[in-house]
Amino acid sequence: MLRLSASTFREQWQLFLGSILTVAIGVALVQSSLLILVTAATLEAPAGLSTLERAQLMDSYALAIPVVGITLALALFLTIFIVSSTFAFTVAQRRRDLALLRLTGGNRKQLRKLLLGEAALLGLVGTALGVPLGLALMRLQSQLLVMFGFLPAGFRPGWQHWIFAVSVGIGLGVALAGVLAASRRAGRVRPLDALRGTGDEARVMTASRWFVGMVFLAVAVALIIVAQSVDPSGAMPLMMLVTLAAAVGLSTLSPLVVPVFGRVLGLLFRKHTIGTLAAANVRDGVRRNAATAAPLIMLVGLLVGLLGTSFSSTAASEQTLHRDTAADLVVTSPADEAHRIPGVQAVANASVEVDVPLVMTNVEHEEDALGGAMESGNARVVDPDDYLRAHRVQPVAGSLEQLHGQAVALGPGRSGELGYSIGDTVHLKIGDRQLQLPIVAVLPTTPYGGPDLLLPKGIAPESVLPSATAQTFVSTVQGADPAAVGDNIRTAVPGTVDSVDAWVQQQAAAEQDTQLRIFTVLLGMASLYALFAAINAVVVITAADRRSEFAAARLSGLTRRQVVRMAVLESETVTAIGILLGGVAATGTILGMRGALERMSGVGVVELPWLAIGALVAGAFLVVGLTSLWTARSATRMSPISLVSDE
Amino acid sequence: MRMMNTDLRAEPAATATENLPAVELRGVRRTYGKHGTAVNALDGVSTRFPDAGWTAVMGPSGSGKSTLLHAAAGLESVTSGEVLLAGTDITAASDEELTSLRRDTIGFVFQNFNLIGSLTAEQNVALPLRLGGQRVSTRDARDVLASVGLADRSRHRPRELSGGQRQRVAIARAMITRPAVLFADEPTGALDSSSAKSVLALLRDMVDTSGQSIVMVTHDPAAAAWADSVLFLSDGRIVDHAHSPTAPGVAERLAALEV
Ligand SMILES: Nc1ncnc2c1ncn2[C@@H]1O[C@H](COP(=O)(O)OP(=O)(O)OP(=O)(O)O)[C@@H](O)[C@H]1O
Ligand SMILES: [Mg+2]
Repeated sequence: MLRLSASTFREQWQLFLGSILTVAIGVALVQSSLLILVTAATLEAPAGLSTLERAQLMDSYALAIPVVGITLALALFLTIFIVSSTFAFTVAQRRRDLALLRLTGGNRKQLRKLLLGEAALLGLVGTALGVPLGLALMRLQSQLLVMFGFLPAGFRPGWQHWIFAVSVGIGLGVALAGVLAASRRAGRVRPLDALRGTGDEARVMTASRWFVGMVFLAVAVALIIVAQSVDPSGAMPLMMLVTLAAAVGLSTLSPLVVPVFGRVLGLLFRKHTIGTLAAANVRDGVRRNAATAAPLIMLVGLLVGLLGTSFSSTAASEQTLHRDTAADLVVTSPADEAHRIPGVQAVANASVEVDVPLVMTNVEHEEDALGGAMESGNARVVDPDDYLRAHRVQPVAGSLEQLHGQAVALGPGRSGELGYSIGDTVHLKIGDRQLQLPIVAVLPTTPYGGPDLLLPKGIAPESVLPSATAQTFVSTVQGADPAAVGDNIRTAVPGTVDSVDAWVQQQAAAEQDTQLRIFTVLLGMASLYALFAAINAVVVITAADRRSEFAAARLSGLTRRQVVRMAVLESETVTAIGILLGGVAATGTILGMRGALERMSGVGVVELPWLAIGALVAGAFLVVGLTSLWTARSATRMSPISLVSDE
Repeated sequence: MRMMNTDLRAEPAATATENLPAVELRGVRRTYGKHGTAVNALDGVSTRFPDAGWTAVMGPSGSGKSTLLHAAAGLESVTSGEVLLAGTDITAASDEELTSLRRDTIGFVFQNFNLIGSLTAEQNVALPLRLGGQRVSTRDARDVLASVGLADRSRHRPRELSGGQRQRVAIARAMITRPAVLFADEPTGALDSSSAKSVLALLRDMVDTSGQSIVMVTHDPAAAAWADSVLFLSDGRIVDHAHSPTAPGVAERLAALEV
């Protein structure tokens, strides 16, 4: 039996090489993310730092942890998805050989054992490649994280001995799991199928395929509904799950759509022989075409869905920030210079706001004296009256008018996360001053975020102010020209003066920038992996499945060029299917996010990453087209007669 | 013309007293498709394929020959009727039972060879025994290949062999388990006349020296003439039966059927 595997391996190496590489890349991605994650999670702040510095440092690492954690989850998910669809597909490709084994006396168990044995072998070889590849990838990934400021310079994830066991487990596990269902299906191959050529299975849409597809779509819909009642910050990770579930569901159900596209292609090229032929091929090869479309659905769904979600939420925060800001100008200056702004001519109101870093101690959760429940945060020191004139905000509880003396208000930043409510006491430390302040107001969360706490003027020790920066929201008197007032402020105070429009745009751009960094870390490798899977599917299909078909087409009068054109046209149709279904998954995701944003802020916007979409669509057509061109050319290099004859 | 014992009844009376037939079909019906467009590929076929005998099955294209062969070998389920292989009813046999039959009792040879392209000739030949869990020495496989005249080709892959050579590998594969019944569907269909002759001689030898039985579908009257008897099918029914056939006699009957 193993000899059979070995010789099949020699014969159909593209088929197996593709499987090995999919396992290797998956293992590498998971291993790399996992090593970075454990190293980041066990990072210790260097000795000799103040409590605040330590808390801030740990907080900046803490941002890396969810980002890398989600990268890890995504890598694991994609590995399972791509490996299982690749393996299932390669089993389907070998139907005829398997039927032949049945004809010569093989029983179902032997077939399953053969396939599982092969999968184990491929999984192990893939892991053997994946482990060193993972180390290289880890260096790349941690460089990216350091470059984007998620991790401190000099961050070097270390090798852990146990990771080897994990990688082997993952490589072997996904390979076996991937082939398990397929091998059960292969066990049902009838011996008679050996006599019927290499045809596709009669029924691709089996009952279990329907079931799986429907379940995943239902999960996606349920998650969208759940997302309507959580904060946008919480909705974002949910949206990722929506994309994944929708992409799996749609890939599973894609055999339903493939023939429809075949028909459309047939109509488009009604009078065109090659087009008609390609259309017939699209319809005939439902399984292989669905297999090529699956990674594309995932790729487009993830990229467009998540970038669209991000763009939409940035657009929403830009709009709401604009809506909520009542000032005309925003001045950024050193904190100890800002007190001169209210005195400038034609300034009606100036809300001087200084952000100060602090350490919060959550007494209720405190476990050890050395700050188990300490976290860094930031407070904005404001004059509540000026603040209310500069911002159109209404507390959801309490009143900002009471923010005087010894009091604190929960800001829009993390008010939900901190677990406080009105009347509670917050223990905090600013500079060297310990404070215990009652909460007098709670501000609503906003798409654009903000400080964790609002503090009344005069509460922060003078020592922290000189180093801080103030933002002053200036309203001009009626009739005054804001630009002229801005010039006046510029001469009076060192700093920059922006119109509110410009300032809002800067904020939005900064937010966009942060999000793009996060998504680059999250999706960069994953997208390349999905793209690789699509290329692999095209290569495997052409190499393993279609040689004799191409040869037959040439023998019936097609030129080599026509055969190649037919193959490319078919692949591009499948690409279109992948992009469209991926677009459907992305649309669900983006609309789900729009609902969550609208519920929170009253602003429902959809902003699409057109540049990314354009690049993605063009790139997908180009890459798949070129791959298909190249494989079809090399598959038709030999004289057709040597390929049509048996075997 | 030397055609004798023409008998339109499906079952020749002479076989009634002989020992158990290799395969027996009783009122076998096989329908494809749904009610409206149903095709009766086999329409009530009853016959016995004698033990240690070679029966050829002939008939126009689409008359149900392959379906008959597949049903007799348990590859295709029947819509109604019974199929008995060496006395046991296989109509409702489980997959395990059918698998073990394929391993020990029956063998197949088809027009398009059906060798595994990635295995050498000798590996292809040894495959059924390996699947049966037996250890096979290369010697055994080579001996069988030698008996079909391919001693020097044992390490070649199918695509490096001629059509006739491939078919002989397929026969060697069927011979290695010494099946009681060999089912062959147009085994010489893709071969030139001299390759066909060597293949047919091999089959004749299996019947004469090892007492194996052969059921062979063919279009070629010359091939049918190697058999002990010929069944003629038309529209899923047995319409004629000839013993000790000759090529011209078979050709004449066939021509009559196809009119
Ligand atoms: N899987 C199938 N589905 C539907 N109809 C079938 C199927 N297999 C065979 N048939 C039909 O059953 C009838 C008998 O087919 P069969 O293959 O037995 O013919 P045959 O005598 O072997 O023909 P040929 O000499 O051309 O091989 C034909 O009309 C055929 O169309
Ligand atoms: Mg036939």
